[in-house]
Amino acid sequence: MSAVVVAENITKKFGDFTAVDDVSLRLEPGEIVGLLGANGAGKTTLLRVLLGLEVATDGRAEVFGSAPASSDRHALGYVPQGLGLYLELTVEQNVAFVAEAFGVDDLPPLPPALAEVRDRQAASIGLGRQRQLAFHCALLHRPTLLILDEPTSGVDPLARARLWDTIHEQAENGVAVLVTTHYMQEAEQCSRLVMMSRGKKVAAGTTAEITSGTRAVVVHADDWAGAFAALGDADLPVVLSGRTSRVAGTAPDEVSAALRDAGVEARLEEVPATLEETMVLVERAARDEA
Amino acid sequence: MRATIIKEFRELRRDKRTLAMLIGLPLMLLIIFGFAANFTIDTLTVSVVGSDASQAEQLVSQSPDASDQLDLTTVDEDGTEAQVRDQLADDEVDMAILTGDASPSDRPTVLIDGSNLFAAQTANVIVAGLGDAVDSEILYNPDLETSWVMVPALIGLILTFIGTIITSIGLVREREQGTLEQLAVMPFSSASVIIGKITPYFILACVDMVIITVLGMWVFDVPFNGSVTAFVLGAAIFLFVVLGIGVLISTVSQTTGQAVQVAMMTLLPQVLLSGMIFPLEAMAAGVRWIGYLLPLTYFTKISQGIMLRDSSWSYLWPSLAVLVLMAVVIFGTAVVRLRRDLAPAKAR
Repeated sequence: MSAVVVAENITKKFGDFTAVDDVSLRLEPGEIVGLLGANGAGKTTLLRVLLGLEVATDGRAEVFGSAPASSDRHALGYVPQGLGLYLELTVEQNVAFVAEAFGVDDLPPLPPALAEVRDRQAASIGLGRQRQLAFHCALLHRPTLLILDEPTSGVDPLARARLWDTIHEQAENGVAVLVTTHYMQEAEQCSRLVMMSRGKKVAAGTTAEITSGTRAVVVHADDWAGAFAALGDADLPVVLSGRTSRVAGTAPDEVSAALRDAGVEARLEEVPATLEETMVLVERAARDEA
Repeated sequence: MRATIIKEFRELRRDKRTLAMLIGLPLMLLIIFGFAANFTIDTLTVSVVGSDASQAEQLVSQSPDASDQLDLTTVDEDGTEAQVRDQLADDEVDMAILTGDASPSDRPTVLIDGSNLFAAQTANVIVAGLGDAVDSEILYNPDLETSWVMVPALIGLILTFIGTIITSIGLVREREQGTLEQLAVMPFSSASVIIGKITPYFILACVDMVIITVLGMWVFDVPFNGSVTAFVLGAAIFLFVVLGIGVLISTVSQTTGQAVQVAMMTLLPQVLLSGMIFPLEAMAAGVRWIGYLLPLTYFTKISQGIMLRDSSWSYLWPSLAVLVLMAVVIFGTAVVRLRRDLAPAKAR
C-alpha cells in the first residue's frame, strides 16, 4: 500500500528560527497519525509544509506521490485551527460554496445540529457547531486524506467525542488522517503518534511503544502537599494526581531520598508511565539538550 | 493611569504603520498644502491665429502685464478657427485668439477652455479688462460650473475608492478569517482564486461608475461630448490599476485596520495631487511630479477630456498608455505577491 503522505527530513526555518527541524513521517491509508506536542512544537508548521502553504527550507514532502502544491486537492480535506469558515455566510451558503468548489452535486444531508441552524450566519452558531460545520465541509467531497489542525480545540467533551467518532469512521473507510493535538486523551485515539518538541521529532510509534519502558513512581503520603513540594524542590518531574504525586522516569530510590531529606513519610508504588508523563519527560530531555 | 500611558507608548513604538502615519501624514499635508494648494494660475498658454496674429503678438509683448500672464505657444497668420478649437479640445492651450479673417466677427475673438476652471477664470479677468475690444466665448463649460469639472474626476475617485479600499478589505478579511489558506488548499488555481476575488469588485465599480456618470449628467447637466468607447476603455484600464493597488495593499496587510490605513495613505495624495481639486499647473514643480506618478491624474485627464471637450485620440492615448503601463506593473506585482500567498511552492 503506497503512503498518502511522505515527509523526509523536513526542516523549516523562519530567519534564524527553526520551526521544524529534520522531521520525517509517513501516513498510510486508514491510519490516524497524531502530531503531538506543546504549543510552538512545530506541528502546525509541519502541516502547512505538507499542505504546500509553506515551502520547506530542506527535506522532501510528498502528498499523493507529488509535491504538495501540485498534488490532487480534490482528494484532500483540511480543517485548519481557525476553521476557515466564511462567518458572514449562512451554514447552507458555506456548504454550497465548498460543494461548488469541489464539484459535489449529490450533497449529503446536514447533521441534525447544523440543519437546525441552516439559515443562520456561521458567526452566530457557536464554536461547537462551527467545528461540526468545518468537518462537514471538509468531508463533503469524500477526501482520501484528512488533515486536521487542533480539530477539537475549545469544544466540550461530548462534541469532542462525536468529532472523534467521525474521524474513526473516516479512517475505517480507508481515509488517511493526520491530526495535531495537545490533548493526551485524543492522542491515545491515534493509530500512531509523532511527538514533537521545539521543532524536533522526539518520539514516534504507538502509545504503547512510546510509553513502554518508562515507569512512574506513585507517592502516597498523608502530607501529600508536603510530598509534592519536596519532590518539586528536588527538581524531579512530579505531577499531582488527586492526592498522590507521580514522578516519571525516576528511580524509586531517588524519589525516596528526596522525601527523606524533606522529612516526609510516604509509601511508594511503581507503575507504567502514562503518555502525558512520558511527554513531560521527553520535553524535559529536549529542554536539557537545548 | 501611568501604566496605561506607558503601555500605549510601548504599543505605538511597535506599530510601525501608525508611527508612519503620525510622522508621514502631517509631513505630507504640510507639503501638499504648502506647495500644491494653489488655485491661481499665473500663466495661460495661448494660441493666436488669423491675418493679424503677428500684430496681436506685438501688442502682448509690449504690455508687461499681458506678457507676464500670456504664453503665446502658437502664432500663426494662416491658422484657422477649426485648428485652435482642436488645440483647445486637446488641452494644448488654455485660450485662443482669433484675429483678422479667422475671427467670425470684425473684432478679435477670444476662445476660452472652460474645462480648466481656474485657467478660465484668469482668462475671463483678462478678457474683461479688454472691454469691447474683443468678443469672447467660453467653450465646454460656458457657465464655469465646478460640478462639470468635478463629476468626471469624481468618477475616478469612486473607482479608486472601490478598487483600493473595498478590494483590499475584501482580501484581507479572507486572511484574517483564515479562509485564504482554505482557498489555497481547494482545487482552484491561483489565477482562478484571484479572478474570482477581483471580478465582483470590478463589476461593482463598473455599476457605480455608470450610476455616477448618469446621475452627474442628469442632476448637474454635465455633458458627455466624447466617445463612450474611449471612456469605457480608459475606465477599465484605470480600474485594473486601482484594483492592483488594492490587491497589493492586501498582500502587505494582516488586518483590515492595516489595509485601511495603507489605502488611505494612497488615496489622500490622489485626491489632492491629481489635479482633481488643485490644478497641476498651479503646483510647485517639486510637488507636481508626484501628481504625474498617480493613476487618478491620468484618468481625470481622460474623463474630463472625453466628457467635456470631446478630445481626440492623439490627446487621450498618452494617458491611456501610462495607465496601461501602471496596470501591467502594479496589477502584475499584486498578482505575483498574492499567488505567493496562495501557493508559495509554485510561486518559487
